[in-house]
Amino acid sequence: MIAKLWKTGIALAALGGLYALSIYKHAERDEMRAAPVALTPGCADKLARYGLVADKFYRSPYVKARGGEPRAARGYSADDLRAIERGCNIIDDTQGELAKTSLERWNATRFIRGTQLKCDNCHQQQGDKQDAHGNRLKGSISLGASWVMADMYDRFTGLLLPYELRQMQCFINSSNGYKPNIADDLIRDVTAYSRFLSAALDLRIANHYEEQGIDEIAASDTLKQGDDYVRGEAIYRQKCAACHGPQAQGKVVNRRVFAPAIAGPNSWNMQSRNYFYFVNTILPGFICRNMPLGQENTLSNQECRDIAYFISNLPRPAGDKQGPLMALQQQLLMGVIPPLVRATERVTAPNGTSIREGDE
Amino acid sequence: MRALALRWGTALGGFNSHLVVGLTLALVTLPQAVAFSVTLAGVPPHFGIYAAIWGVLFCALLNPSPVFHGGPNTAMSAAVGVTLLPLSAPFGAEYMGLALTLGLLCGLIQLLFWLIRPLGRMLDLISEPVINGMICGIGLFLIFRSLTTFGGLPLNTEVEWPLWIAWQSFLAVLEIGNPYAIEIGLITLATCIVVQQVERLKSWAILAGIAAGTLYSEYLNRKYGLGSTLVEQIGNLSSIRPFTASVPTFSQEAMHDIVAIVPGAVTLALLGLFQTVAALRRMSRKAGGYADTRAAIFSDAVTNCALPFLSSLPSCASFNRMWLVHKLGIHSRVTIAMSAVLLLLLVLFFARAIAVIPMPAMAAIIMLLGCNMLKWEDIKPHVTNKREAVVFFGAFLSVLFLDLFGAVLVGAVLAIAYSKWEQAHPNVSLTGNVLKIRGNIYYGSLPVIERIYHDALARGERLVIDFSQAYYIDPEGLRWLAAAKNTGHAALIDRRSGIDRRAVAAAAAAAERRSGWDRRTDGRPATPSERRARRDRRRKPQL
Repeated sequence: MIAKLWKTGIALAALGGLYALSIYKHAERDEMRAAPVALTPGCADKLARYGLVADKFYRSPYVKARGGEPRAARGYSADDLRAIERGCNIIDDTQGELAKTSLERWNATRFIRGTQLKCDNCHQQQGDKQDAHGNRLKGSISLGASWVMADMYDRFTGLLLPYELRQMQCFINSSNGYKPNIADDLIRDVTAYSRFLSAALDLRIANHYEEQGIDEIAASDTLKQGDDYVRGEAIYRQKCAACHGPQAQGKVVNRRVFAPAIAGPNSWNMQSRNYFYFVNTILPGFICRNMPLGQENTLSNQECRDIAYFISNLPRPAGDKQGPLMALQQQLLMGVIPPLVRATERVTAPNGTSIREGDE
Repeated sequence: MRALALRWGTALGGFNSHLVVGLTLALVTLPQAVAFSVTLAGVPPHFGIYAAIWGVLFCALLNPSPVFHGGPNTAMSAAVGVTLLPLSAPFGAEYMGLALTLGLLCGLIQLLFWLIRPLGRMLDLISEPVINGMICGIGLFLIFRSLTTFGGLPLNTEVEWPLWIAWQSFLAVLEIGNPYAIEIGLITLATCIVVQQVERLKSWAILAGIAAGTLYSEYLNRKYGLGSTLVEQIGNLSSIRPFTASVPTFSQEAMHDIVAIVPGAVTLALLGLFQTVAALRRMSRKAGGYADTRAAIFSDAVTNCALPFLSSLPSCASFNRMWLVHKLGIHSRVTIAMSAVLLLLLVLFFARAIAVIPMPAMAAIIMLLGCNMLKWEDIKPHVTNKREAVVFFGAFLSVLFLDLFGAVLVGAVLAIAYSKWEQAHPNVSLTGNVLKIRGNIYYGSLPVIERIYHDALARGERLVIDFSQAYYIDPEGLRWLAAAKNTGHAALIDRRSGIDRRAVAAAAAAAERRSGWDRRTDGRPATPSERRARRDRRRKPQL
């Protein structure tokens, strides 16, 4: 009888403890929600330029600066303001390099397996890439332009894909990570920021814009020489290796990511649409329109396809749905091939001067 | 008169018990049916509810086991979603038609397993450590799977649930879960735990838990309004009829898709049968009975052939509901059939009352069932034996890191490997010049036996091979024994009866006959003197 009472007591105490822990965690999160946001330099500049303040109405300075007449859109409350600011911070500094605590980014690193990738690597300039004259750039995967196409049918799966689910796909595949819950503040804040961008840029729901998504490059957009690994490797070494490293494993300087890994354990996985063997038009499109930084649009379509083909042949993690065997195989390849290549290069390089993987 | 009253009283008491257990089963099956169909299979809730009514009823009628509970199943519902998602949009007419076709194909494939007896026998290659490992894995699976609903969060995953996502879900419940939902779930759990301690009220525990959770949810809704509490409820089921006739898609234009779903149908069929056989064997043993798995295969196959014509998901054994039947202590097909009828009546007449049952309370009940499946008494016997522990943990971890089908495959491979390993290592002892073999003498164990035999021969002794305790000797074993005898270094004895010795002698002679030594070159049988001469020639080395 006493043993039974003890057992019941322990079970009830465990339930009580769980409740107390959840109350504590909720309070911690509420506190963070109410706290002022320390913006990253990029976000501070961007949001100041777009005139984000708490007000009843919002009129876009961007539209005004480009000679348009800004319409009075619904304004933002102080809560909205903080959500937008946190959203921008998450995009600009997903790994929390500039944050005091991981909770400032809603523990975003919990949903990314690697230590290098952040949203801004693909969605450049905080998801709103522009040239020096403020022109939005074709194929720059603008978050604002993506938001206005939210809840549209996804052409790859044929499913109605809400913006929140699209973000989850990014976390699973492009960051080779895990799904945050769809109700997580992480997803809500990025959605709030993306929605603000669309208002700031005066983008209209369901319209198509050039900066939306990728300017895909199919084989038919080339002179049909075929995608070539050797050519790809040569161009990669010439144009990309200086930043991303000879084996595309990224470059970290003083514990800050200088250029992210585009292969290996810190990169996107084989289920990502960036993976050439899954969708062979997206990575070439991204490369042509966004790379090398500062020299965008200088590579030919065929060169972009060759580089994408080469990168995708380097070992990278398997996707969740590809099963444990494929995951094991890729882990083995990622563990074995880079040191093997390094050793080979050390032997074959003239005068023993092999290219070192950049401070990784 | 008094005796008659007593008999009626006992019968009424028995009926009451059936009713309570049936009602509990019906209430536990209902949310699972809704959740499996909508979140896993991508079909409307009535698909799952019909599986919980007609699937359970058909199985209760066709399957003689008193512990078997069919109906919708997690892994099978998920397999439907995985198979059909690439072909069509969920909840669409085309998708539903293909779901029915998939169910019918699954039933037909299962029928093959019944018709071809050796095929069905293959399903028995799942040992108890595998089954227990799977049960423990599924217990954890149910706990983690229910976490998001428990915390009032949207379901995080479509079809897959690796352990790490379950961990993220736990953290999400703690950090961003709906506090009202968490409170409802905890009250349900606490009520169940407390009521379970009172022996007389044990079978009412789950109903009491659901009642407490629902009352608290109603209190919250009255106080704050459903718009503020945002607690998910089962919802309106008033459109459901006793049955809805349907026809699986078999049109010319759909042929391409139908061919594409055949591998999925095979997976679905195997998934269902493996679970049915494993759960039936486990639970029958637990209840102290025996169940014929062939009858279970037949009942599953026929049920799954019929269900697609009733707008239903396929059915197979449910570990957690069978566990519940066992825990409630009533092993009867009447109770199980009654649960299906009660569910139908509940859906038909109490749809509005059922509609307000909160989903967190349902999730709490499923979590409790999961906890009940993790019993140390069931785990302990497998941990004491090292090899069995490997099989047990292999199956357990496979459920957590692969999926149910993967777990069954890994478990079956481990079980076969385990049994082969045991067979291949007989107990061979050398006492004096007697080489005693306890175990099997077959191609797998011969290397072990031969090593000890030749070690002993190397000492220069003439050996006596005692195989009186050999369970099984295969032709290769017989040839080895015959060869050992023929070399003249060893004699064969059977101390106990001599019967085995004669049998071995006869078998050895038969083996030699097969090798052709007693035949003349023209194929006619050799005479005794010819045989003797030839045997002598074989023994003497040719110079």
